[in-house]
Amino acid sequence: MSEADATGGFGGAARGDASLSGNPALVGQEAVRLEGVHKSFGVLEILRGIDLSVAPHEVICLIGASGSGKSTLLRCVNLLEPVNRGRILLWGQDVTAPGVDENAVRRHIGIVFQSFNLFPHMTVLRNITLGPIRVLGVPRDQAEEAGRALLVRFGLSDKRDDYPDRLSGGQQQRVAIVRALAMRPGIMLLDEVTSALDPELVSEVLGVIRELADAGMTMLIATHEMGFARDIADRVCFLDEGVILEQGPPRQVFTAPVNSRTQQFLRRIVDAGRL
Amino acid sequence: MRKTFVLVIFALIGLGLTAVASSASPASSSKAASAVLTAKASSCSHASIARDVYKIGSLTVATDSPAYEPWFSNNTPSNGKGYESAVAYAIAKQLGFSKSQVKWTVEPFDASFAPGPKKFDFDINEISYTEERATVVSFSASYYDVQQALIAMRNSRIVKHHTPADLRTYVFGDQIGSTSLAFINTELRPTQQPSVFNTLNDAKSALQDGRIQALVADTPTAQYISSSEIPKSVLVGQFPSTGEHYGLLFAKNDPLVACVNKAIATLKANGSLAKFQKEYLGIYTSVPTIKP
Amino acid sequence: MPVRGSRGGTYLDQQTLVAAGAPAPGSFEGNGRGSHLLGGQRAAAVSTVSTVVFIGGVIALFVFAPGAAAVRHTFFNPQQMKQAFLGDPSKGLYSVGKGLILNIEMFLIAEVLILFFALVIAVLRQLRNPVLFPFRMLAVVYTDVFRGVPLIIVIYGIGFGAPALYIRGVSTQSDFVYGIVALVLSYSAYVAEVYRAGINSVHQSQVAAARSLGLSQWKSLRFVVLPQAVRTVIPPLLNDFISLQKDTALVSTLGAVIEANRAAQIDSSTLFVYSSYTVAALLFLCLTIPLARFTDRLIARDVSRRMAGGATVR
Repeated sequence: MSEADATGGFGGAARGDASLSGNPALVGQEAVRLEGVHKSFGVLEILRGIDLSVAPHEVICLIGASGSGKSTLLRCVNLLEPVNRGRILLWGQDVTAPGVDENAVRRHIGIVFQSFNLFPHMTVLRNITLGPIRVLGVPRDQAEEAGRALLVRFGLSDKRDDYPDRLSGGQQQRVAIVRALAMRPGIMLLDEVTSALDPELVSEVLGVIRELADAGMTMLIATHEMGFARDIADRVCFLDEGVILEQGPPRQVFTAPVNSRTQQFLRRIVDAGRL
Repeated sequence: MRKTFVLVIFALIGLGLTAVASSASPASSSKAASAVLTAKASSCSHASIARDVYKIGSLTVATDSPAYEPWFSNNTPSNGKGYESAVAYAIAKQLGFSKSQVKWTVEPFDASFAPGPKKFDFDINEISYTEERATVVSFSASYYDVQQALIAMRNSRIVKHHTPADLRTYVFGDQIGSTSLAFINTELRPTQQPSVFNTLNDAKSALQDGRIQALVADTPTAQYISSSEIPKSVLVGQFPSTGEHYGLLFAKNDPLVACVNKAIATLKANGSLAKFQKEYLGIYTSVPTIKP
Repeated sequence: MPVRGSRGGTYLDQQTLVAAGAPAPGSFEGNGRGSHLLGGQRAAAVSTVSTVVFIGGVIALFVFAPGAAAVRHTFFNPQQMKQAFLGDPSKGLYSVGKGLILNIEMFLIAEVLILFFALVIAVLRQLRNPVLFPFRMLAVVYTDVFRGVPLIIVIYGIGFGAPALYIRGVSTQSDFVYGIVALVLSYSAYVAEVYRAGINSVHQSQVAAARSLGLSQWKSLRFVVLPQAVRTVIPPLLNDFISLQKDTALVSTLGAVIEANRAAQIDSSTLFVYSSYTVAALLFLCLTIPLARFTDRLIARDVSRRMAGGATVR
């Protein structure tokens, strides 16, 4: 994906995919907006004032060292962690305001974790249909129909009745992505989804994410895969010690970083042979 | 490692065998050995008895705890009060033991008939003689002839209505191990299965709470319960004798039985037993009889 | 992570060992290495000889010990064992076999109720809704109290206490009912803790995954956490139920429930022999051994599945 695409190619109609994109009523607004978000665990301050805005269909990659706050940022957006200060708006709505039904908010956000977190006691199909059936109230046969279609689409149809522990890591992570997609989220949050995988399994998962990006899914991706980030992201944000130090189109951030910390970080990555 | 393990196992088996073999003749007890041997004719002189007892130089007498009234007094067998305590001391005296030479020991009823050496010379615990029991242990001659009696709450229907047919309709209860329970089952034959309690005290509280309608016990016990223990309870009456009697319990074929029987015969003949019955069980004489 | 202090601690300890790669006790059957562990034919011959000698030694104890005849007469008298099993009303002897039916009835009824109540208590302790605070407190107090008080005292308390209250409907139940209530009260406290250990053994990331789908706390518990927790705790639960089978015998202290053990006691005190206890013991073994073997098989299956699962994660 070229930079031109990333900056200019928001044409929803061209990239949109009815089967994957979220609530059509939300199209056109700012998808996510973080305003001065602070988050601490005890005395440890993880997020120290994050301001970030994500446009519909935009793909943003969060890069930075371990512990820089990428995962926490994603978990805050999904309300898995309450913020200490600041606001988070989804499609213009403040979801950090008191009285907001967090379950209702989470329906519109898909999140995929580093460690897959599939439900080991359920088959692949049951993993995928749990949310639609129990949260959205979709009748079982319809949910399974949709689930099967998604599995076919992502090349997992032969794993439908397997339990997760029979799947490879790459397959498990793909199922985890499909599980999130089955809820028809308006945005996907991907948290280091390839970090727990053996190198030869990374590409199949990245392929799926590429497909999502091509289909116009709005995504916030925390990743260590710099090459991938450079290819897929519309915008790259460099996080360091809980703040976004630098952001911009990938070509700019990766080839001509302004901030010295970004330069340092990228040099270490290049030295390690990972870019 | 494996060899050591095997050796240990064999050593344990060996130990077990020696332990069993030696336990039959413990240093402190000539009693068990003699009990295993056939009973030898005994002169019943104090000297020969004193050599044969469980602990040389004393007479070890067992009973259960709690020791119930009026057979004992204050749950203290050694005070010489209560019928069985008095009888035990009188027999001891006949055998030539002084009061201080009588040692009391607690023997739960259930354990009194266990195989193996006994830890007492005799057990006096309102134990009824039966033929089957006598194949396992030895009994002395009767020191008390038992009649069963019926206890109920004063306002119970059973107080007025206790024909044999009536009696089958009540809920009875009794202590485990008592011949009173067998009496209920074989003589009264109630349609509802009687309750069976661990202790007589449990049975008493069941009667008080109305969980059972009647309790059967030997007449002295029944008298004591109704007059002194359960308020508003009455002794409805006693049943005719079935020939049941209490005997002292001994190890099977204990040579001491013959001497104790002699002593009991003497106490019967000289009126001591009657005197004790009058003293400790005497207030319990005028009891109406129920025809079962 | 011990499931609880006194009785059931071994199962999860064993799991920890397995997870750490140590050989699990009882895993011989599971992985099909039985003959390998014995170390070939010579070892097999040695073990056979050792077994024969050991059992022979034990039998010799019963045959040649000075008191062996008396022991056989009191404990293993076939005639009296048969009499105890069938009962003989004309001699005032109760049937131990019939009594066992009561044990089985009490066990089955109590088990179903325990599984239900214990789960409710465990779940109450898990929910963080502030409205439920008093119930949570109650659940904590309940488990503390009933795990601490010996079962026999609970049975006495209910069976002798409730009738003494003279409350209509409460004080007029049968001893059978009181006994089951006491068993349920006592065992639910244990089993609730077993459930709770199971719930806590389900990783937080599972909850996060469930919640991220928009499932409420209750639905996450219901569809994601509990099914996994229950699966983990089935072996320790069965362990508890083996104890429960035996503990039904304690209900006989209330009087009216003449179960197998009480029937054996009565027969024993009537005839002055212990053969009736032997019958009761054998009958209880017939109940508990199948359950114990079943538990072992579940554990073995669980261990092998865990190992297989572990191998394919990546």
